[in-house]
Formats: sequence, C-alpha cells, structure tokens
Amino acid sequence: MFLKTELQWNVVIPAESLDAKGLMLQKAIVIRLLDDFSKRKATKDLGYLLALTTVEKIGEGKVRQHTGDVLFPVTFSAISFKLFRGEILEGVVHKVLKQGVILRCGPIENVYLSSSKMPDYNYVPGENPIFLNDKMSKIEKGVTLRFIVIGAKWLEAEREFQALVGLHADYLGPVS
Amino acid sequence: MLRGEDEDASELKIGEDFLKAKCLMNSEVAILLEHRYDQMKQMSGDSTPLPQVFEKSLQYVKCFSRFTNQGSVKQVREVLSRYQLAEFELAVIGNLCPETVEEAKAIVPSLKTKGRGHDDEAVERLLNDLLMIKKFE
Repeated sequence: MFLKTELQWNVVIPAESLDAKGLMLQKAIVIRLLDDFSKRKATKDLGYLLALTTVEKIGEGKVRQHTGDVLFPVTFSAISFKLFRGEILEGVVHKVLKQGVILRCGPIENVYLSSSKMPDYNYVPGENPIFLNDKMSKIEKGVTLRFIVIGAKWLEAEREFQALVGLHADYLGPVS
Repeated sequence: MLRGEDEDASELKIGEDFLKAKCLMNSEVAILLEHRYDQMKQMSGDSTPLPQVFEKSLQYVKCFSRFTNQGSVKQVREVLSRYQLAEFELAVIGNLCPETVEEAKAIVPSLKTKGRGHDDEAVERLLNDLLMIKKFE
C-alpha cells in the first residue's frame, strides 16, 4: 500500500553553509533533507521511502555545541510503500522455481509465493519452467498475479523488506 | 505500535497510525512520482541516476494504474469517499477495481464486518460508479 505521511526529521547544516541567509539557507536545508531522504531508503515503520512531496515547516535552528553545526527540525510529507499482512494486491512473476515463485511488487523485489500456497497449481519443469493448474491457467515469468500478503519481514542489515504471499483465497491468481 | 502478529489488513487491523495516514491509489502515486521525476530530471539532468526504489515504484504504478487521466483519478477518490470507507479500503478498491459485489467483498473482507452499513446494494452502487468513471475516461 502506498502511504502519504507527515514526518519530522532533523537536518544538520554544517557551519560553513551558514553564511547564507533567508531563501538560500532554506534551499540548503531542503537539499540536505532530500539527500538524507534518498539515503535512508526504507524504515521498519514506514516501509520504502519513495518521494518527498512537500516541506510543511522548517523550525528554529539549534546550534550544536561542539561542532558549530545547526540542527533544523523539518516537518514534511512523503510517500512510502509498505506491505500489510492480509492486504491484497498485484505483482509480476520474476522467477519460477520448483518451490514456488518470486514476484516483484512496487519497490520490493523479494516477494515469495510458495508452491504450498498455490492451491491446485503444479510445477512443470523445462527451459521455461511454469506452474499449471487443471484449468490450464499458467503462472510463468512476466505473469501478473493477485495475491494476499501473509507476512513481511524487515531485514535491518540490508534495509529492505522480504514478503511471503499466497493465492489461497477467492479471486486470487493470474490476472489477464 | 501494533505488534507483527496482531496486524491483519483484512480486518483493518493495521495500526492506528496507518488508519489515519492517507492511503494513495496507484493512479495517484503515478501522478505524484511522474511529477517528481520531471522535477529531478530538470534539476540534475540525465547524469544522476535515480534511486532504485523510486525507479521501481514509478515503473510499478505506471503499470498498475487503472485510471490514467488526472481528472478521472480525482473523481474516483471523490466518488469512493462518499461511501464511508476507510482510507485503506478505498485504495484497495481503486487499485483492483472489482467487478462484482462478491469480488469486492473477497478483496476487502473488512467490508463484511457487521454494523458497517455496507449492504450488497451499496457495494453494487459503488462498483457501478467506478465503472462509469472508467467508461468515460
């Protein structure tokens, strides 16, 4: 699900950039914020940080004693993407393995659909492996699937999410 | 903060913070990200690569947008907002565009919760309204 939330982050401006006043300072703060934002990539609570939409407010700067840098609290709105357990959405099959299928959904590359969660589908090996059910419905690379999220795991080290999904409910499966 | 085990979007148990956060439909995100993309290209030219997360998301929403016209997208939100849906439910419906009442209740199970006043007739009306917008896009 794509979310729009309001956040407040602290932006640190080094002492050297502080000659600028007014608009130039504001610009420096926004540029630093944009930089911090794209470096963050994702957080456990918000999911993947995609884009900053508006800067709502820049608070008063506080000087940091030892470095002379100034810290500005900035309130802004941003778009993020997060998968919720029980959510139903669509993704594209990227790899087909005997144990199941790997999908891509939004910014997430590691969405796992286990064969045990693909009722009535059987693995068909070959140069282009696929999953097939008795109604001749095919699941192969490039197919769009509608699935339900069973769970999402936050990997702290890689700063990314892994998700487990399934097709074990009505109206789920390949979408034409 | 909701613990992982308690979370369940099918019952709208997604944490208070998220129930209040604005949920955006793919179509809305496509418009916002495209705009941002143009801005970034203007500012840094073709040399600076865009963050992977941004590129993949832009690709995804362009592919999975049901409504491409900005006017229609606004209309969809306006129309769906008249039905007392949670932000989350509105976005899922706008994204998947269910065709029947049965399908709508399957992909947004929280609609079935008793006492919410979403009888089949209301859901049918909602789906017809969506269909109208799609037809005249």
